Amino acid sequence: MTKLLHKPLKAFAIYSLVILLVSIPVYFLVIDYIWISELDENNWLTLQHTRENLQNKSYSEEELKEISSIWGDLHPGVSLTKLNEKPSFQDSVFEAVRPNVFDVDDGEDRFRGLISYIELNGNYYRISVETNVEESDETVFAIAVVTFLFFIVLVGGFMVLNRAIASKTWKPFYLTLERLKDFNLSKDQSINLPESDILEFQEMNHSLRSLLNNNVDVYRLQKSFTENASHELQTPIALLKSKMDLLFQEKGLSPETLSLLEDIQAPLSRLSRINKNLLVLAKVENFQLSEKEELDVYGFIQTSQILFEDYLKEKNILLEVKVENSIEIVSNSFLLETLIYNLFSNAIRHSPKDSSIQIVLKKDLLSFSNSGEKELDSQHLFERFSTSSAEKISSGLGLSIVKEIVKQNNWEIHYKFLKSFHVFELRFPNSKFLPNPS
Amino acid sequence: MKILLIEDEESLAKDVIQYLSEKQYLCEIAKDFDSASEKILNYEYDCILLDLMLPGGSGLDLLQLLKNEGKQEGVIIISAKNSLEDKVKGLNLGADDYLAKPFHQAELAARIESLIRRSHFDSQNVKTFENLKIDFLAKKVQVDEIEVVLTKKEYDLLLFFIGNRNRVLSKSALAEHLSGDFADMFDSHDFVYAHVKNLKRKLKDAGCSEMIKTIYGTGYKWEA
Repeated sequence: MTKLLHKPLKAFAIYSLVILLVSIPVYFLVIDYIWISELDENNWLTLQHTRENLQNKSYSEEELKEISSIWGDLHPGVSLTKLNEKPSFQDSVFEAVRPNVFDVDDGEDRFRGLISYIELNGNYYRISVETNVEESDETVFAIAVVTFLFFIVLVGGFMVLNRAIASKTWKPFYLTLERLKDFNLSKDQSINLPESDILEFQEMNHSLRSLLNNNVDVYRLQKSFTENASHELQTPIALLKSKMDLLFQEKGLSPETLSLLEDIQAPLSRLSRINKNLLVLAKVENFQLSEKEELDVYGFIQTSQILFEDYLKEKNILLEVKVENSIEIVSNSFLLETLIYNLFSNAIRHSPKDSSIQIVLKKDLLSFSNSGEKELDSQHLFERFSTSSAEKISSGLGLSIVKEIVKQNNWEIHYKFLKSFHVFELRFPNSKFLPNPS
Repeated sequence: MKILLIEDEESLAKDVIQYLSEKQYLCEIAKDFDSASEKILNYEYDCILLDLMLPGGSGLDLLQLLKNEGKQEGVIIISAKNSLEDKVKGLNLGADDYLAKPFHQAELAARIESLIRRSHFDSQNVKTFENLKIDFLAKKVQVDEIEVVLTKKEYDLLLFFIGNRNRVLSKSALAEHLSGDFADMFDSHDFVYAHVKNLKRKLKDAGCSEMIKTIYGTGYKWEA
């Protein structure tokens, strides 16, 4: 993942690199062109000057010979050479690389020359003017070095500017991002987005605010719907239950009627359980149980052991409780109780007869293991009404309640399938360990 | 025995009265806050069954009213709002018991009986059925003056049975009585049979006549 501000920076850097790279040959060509045309002009002026003076002064042939040799000695840039036949009198421009002892770098120099012809005293002479030109490799090297330096300055500048922009212009954006990260729909809180003088951010915050407010409203409605619906269902369920009790008291009921009545009991108690669990879930989600105290996890295990004793015996389940240390946590006692009872009763319900259940308390971990045949779908395990078995009594809410409680207390829960055992492992971070009570 | 039932759900109130009718209780109903407070102020009851959500006010305020008036009536809260907070508040305000809706009539009947027994414990701390004697204070059971040792659950069941004499008790009512709220976490309550069987055996072995009758396919009944 790239950070927002790094993306343009990278693009800018690459773009400026390309432009600067392209600029190197262009600079070179332009400089070389100017350089050469200037030199050609200079050569031409020198030539004109020399030619005019030679013609005006009307030197003798001997003198010309001497001038030529003196020039050759002192000023190699201009030379006068006598020709034996008549030339075409066509000026020409040339470029040459010659060895030069004064050049310490590579011993060579580039020259730009102009050749012209002149007729003096009936003889034909060739005048050539040469000027040293900066060598192309040197030019390219210099330009490259300068360009590279500028590139560094440019990118450095981009980075500094970027940081300045980030800390100023983008500040509201990052603030908004932070607030959004902290936002939790299930926590009843309003979101406070920062004000900004930048139109886009202002619009974004505005849209986010209305989006979030809508969601919060929908969420609240949904929550209160579940709660209200289950509250409303309480009374008819209570009535059904009490009517059933009265019906059982009727005299002279046939065995068929009695068995029908008995069959109604099971779905009725399931209905009652689902409804009760929905209420518990709503209560947990609504933070209606915020009263906290210090709780000893092992104490709750012991209570549940007594409570579920009959159910363990009924299925002939062997219970092993391994306690290395107890855990002291700060939470709501109803929540911890619900959590442990749900996991424990789950383990009992899903255990085959004559099997075993292990409860392990070790460091900050509490785990419930019961034997099972195949791994459960851990992805949907904690979702509401995701029935993993054909079992009839399940309310489909037990594990969602567990998950919600775990979430609210910032604990952790994991499911794994180990050696034909379903293992639910609870972790209580930041808890205190108590010595093994036994 | 006079009982005041403060409950706005008429049908439920009728069921409660019908179930309790055979026990020589005199039941009165108050359907809202005002009539309830009027009855509380003007009459004496042995037991008050109190719903917390009432038209016209909260049941908790009625508890406060009872307390302020110095009334000694035993109160059982019967509430659809199974909230720990209300339970604690109610018990702190002087309520004696809390029963969450939906409940089995048998459970309510047993709790009423237990409450009345406690509030009249001078005259009612021992009960006899033929040669069976139950001492509620000492939590001891005797047959022909010889103690029968019962487990806690068996003793609980015995009290539940005598609180619902001549009533058919379903397996689910018995299981709920023994396991409380958690009974409906399980699909099978066969353990109830084992406890009842043990209780019956112990009483029979001690020479008690068979008062717990098995009702085929349904549950049990205490006939005395």
